[in-house]
Amino acid sequence: MSSSTLIFAILFLALFSYWFGIQKAVKVAGGLGKVKHLASLPRQFGMLTGFWCGIPALLVLLIWSVFEANVVESLLISTLPEQVQNLPGSELGLYLNDIKVMAGSGIVSLDGLADDKLVTAQAVNYYIQTNQNASWLKTALIIVIALASVAYVVSRFSLDFRARNQLESIIRWILMASSAIAVLTTLGIVLSVLFESIQFFSSVPPWEFLFGTQWSPQIAMRSDQVAGSGAFGAVPLFAGTLLITLIAMTISVPVGLMTAIYLSQYASAKMRSFAKPMLEILAGVPTVVYGFFAALTVAPFIRDAGEWMGLSVASESALAAGIVMGVMIIPFVSSLSDDAINAVPTPLKEGSLGMGATPSETIKLVLLPAAIPGIVGAILLAVSRAIGETMIVVMAAGMAANLTANPLESVTTVTVQIVTLLTGDQEFDTPKTLAAFALGLMLFITTLALNIIALKVVRKYREQYD
Amino acid sequence: MIDLSSSESLVSDEIKIKETVGDIFADDAKMSMRNVNVFYDEKQAIKNVSLDLARNQVTALIGPSGCGKSTFLRCLNRMNDTIPICRVEGELKLEGDNIYAKNLDPVLLRARVGMVFQKPNPFPKSIYDNVAYGPKIHGLATNKAELDEIVVSSLQKAGLFNEVKDRLEAPGTGLSGGQQQRLCIARTIAVSPEVILMDEPASALDPIATAVIEELIDELKEKYTIAIVTHSMQQAARVSQTTAYFHMGQLVEMGKTDQIFTNPTHELTENYITGRFG
Repeated sequence: MSSSTLIFAILFLALFSYWFGIQKAVKVAGGLGKVKHLASLPRQFGMLTGFWCGIPALLVLLIWSVFEANVVESLLISTLPEQVQNLPGSELGLYLNDIKVMAGSGIVSLDGLADDKLVTAQAVNYYIQTNQNASWLKTALIIVIALASVAYVVSRFSLDFRARNQLESIIRWILMASSAIAVLTTLGIVLSVLFESIQFFSSVPPWEFLFGTQWSPQIAMRSDQVAGSGAFGAVPLFAGTLLITLIAMTISVPVGLMTAIYLSQYASAKMRSFAKPMLEILAGVPTVVYGFFAALTVAPFIRDAGEWMGLSVASESALAAGIVMGVMIIPFVSSLSDDAINAVPTPLKEGSLGMGATPSETIKLVLLPAAIPGIVGAILLAVSRAIGETMIVVMAAGMAANLTANPLESVTTVTVQIVTLLTGDQEFDTPKTLAAFALGLMLFITTLALNIIALKVVRKYREQYD
Repeated sequence: MIDLSSSESLVSDEIKIKETVGDIFADDAKMSMRNVNVFYDEKQAIKNVSLDLARNQVTALIGPSGCGKSTFLRCLNRMNDTIPICRVEGELKLEGDNIYAKNLDPVLLRARVGMVFQKPNPFPKSIYDNVAYGPKIHGLATNKAELDEIVVSSLQKAGLFNEVKDRLEAPGTGLSGGQQQRLCIARTIAVSPEVILMDEPASALDPIATAVIEELIDELKEKYTIAIVTHSMQQAARVSQTTAYFHMGQLVEMGKTDQIFTNPTHELTENYITGRFG
């Protein structure tokens, strides 16, 4: 049986064990009428039996699947003639690959084959046979484990068997394992980025990366190739990211905050029920759509407007990308700030209004200060979005790594460069591609630092209410 | 022991309320309300209530939960304006001026008619800033010294100054429940209102803090006209001069507190204050 069929079989068995556990528990109690003498509910006995059936079997299946291919391959190698075994690693790999491909089309007939072909054909047949055996062994083992676990747990059933407590501790483990997945994934990503970056910094010195003002990652792949010598100064990229983020925030923070104030304090219920979903739709527009909107509508408009005023504007400008990104982020700021303002207890608002404060004074002096942690959180999330946003900048801001503070010029950002470094056919051990990991690491550190700063700010200025 | 059978018969309107009994008029009325009806959408919460608040007296509004006493109180400084579905009809006057007049600014009204809420709701600011909040927004002080004076005298009037004089910059939310409520009273006094509305001001407090608040209310009536909603009949008896008994949105009986508690006229009032219902 294949692993996916086996998983279904285990789930089915678990379901059956659930029912079986309930029956068993009722029997231990001595009939349906005496179920109240059990220390736990029959349903809990059933669920415990189900978990006992499923979890060990699934774990063994997982471990088996991880090692199966390697074990079969090493068995296969051990049957090969000595001269094949002693081949260099890459050639042996190719040979094994050939065998696996041939095995895909079934058992090979050995009749009338020359010696060299005969060895290969025997290997193919051995490989097919071993895989089949492994599959049978796996199926048998899993089912035996599942049934044995059920038998074990059921044999322990008695009147004072604490099924509920055991069930709860199993569920607690499952919950913990789920949260561990997120933590471990984050850790894994950070470590992989870190190691690749260290490799990058062994060929490009860190200070050149951190403080260099020249970015041109094109380097020669072969010695006879004509290409740039490669310069990995990341300052223009971070400057570009900063510039675009700044433009986006200047638009999204005031507009978003005012939207939130309007929606939470002034808008009628009807207006609110219409405007909130509209804003959420704005948040749901794919960024690539914003991207071509920026590149095809906003950027030309800005260029024309700039020319009309006598300014020279690049057709791909930081301003166009920043404005569109700002619009994209408005719903994040407004929606989260709206929640933060609404979370301020009504008695506080009434206390202020009850003293003759105007609604506007109430908002400025009571609601906003009390909602500050939430609002800062909203802005922070918006900044992270802006820094990490890629599609809009790829399409509207350009690729040229200019070091400039002029929003009318074309700039590029960290994320855009990561995309261009890694798309297309690339070798993964040149400084060019490794640079992407270094950029990623810097981006990660930047957002982490932003988070920490914001947390400090919020702690310092928050007005606590309870 | 609550007599359930009789309370059920009360709910089923066996005893009809034809009109308010007792004396709704005050010789020297600070506020006078006539034929007030309040609706939440279609549901009528207050039915044709008329009463006066006597100047420099404490008027207690009592009645079972959901009888409309808090709704009525919130009409008196137009706090109900913050609820979009709420509609108020009738004539409500403060010193002869209609407080629901088109050209009257509810913001200015609320400076004249202050409110203290059920749950202490100090702002998440310092004690000083809590009291200075009103004077600041109404421009009552021209300089820091004047503001300081208003803050200190308000805290003194609320009987809180001696407890907090060394920590005026500490957050108001750090005080105990009773202190927080007195801070809210100080905050209300600081804008020199003429009327103070109190919506169950002691219901979240322990008996000692309650006693302090009740004493304070007694002192405050020298300068202010007070209306207090309360669930505690003992409290109504202790602090008020006039008592109004509400039942299902109607004003059943109103009169001198002594008379209401010793010799009620209406059967519903009697049932309520003797603890047979409510």
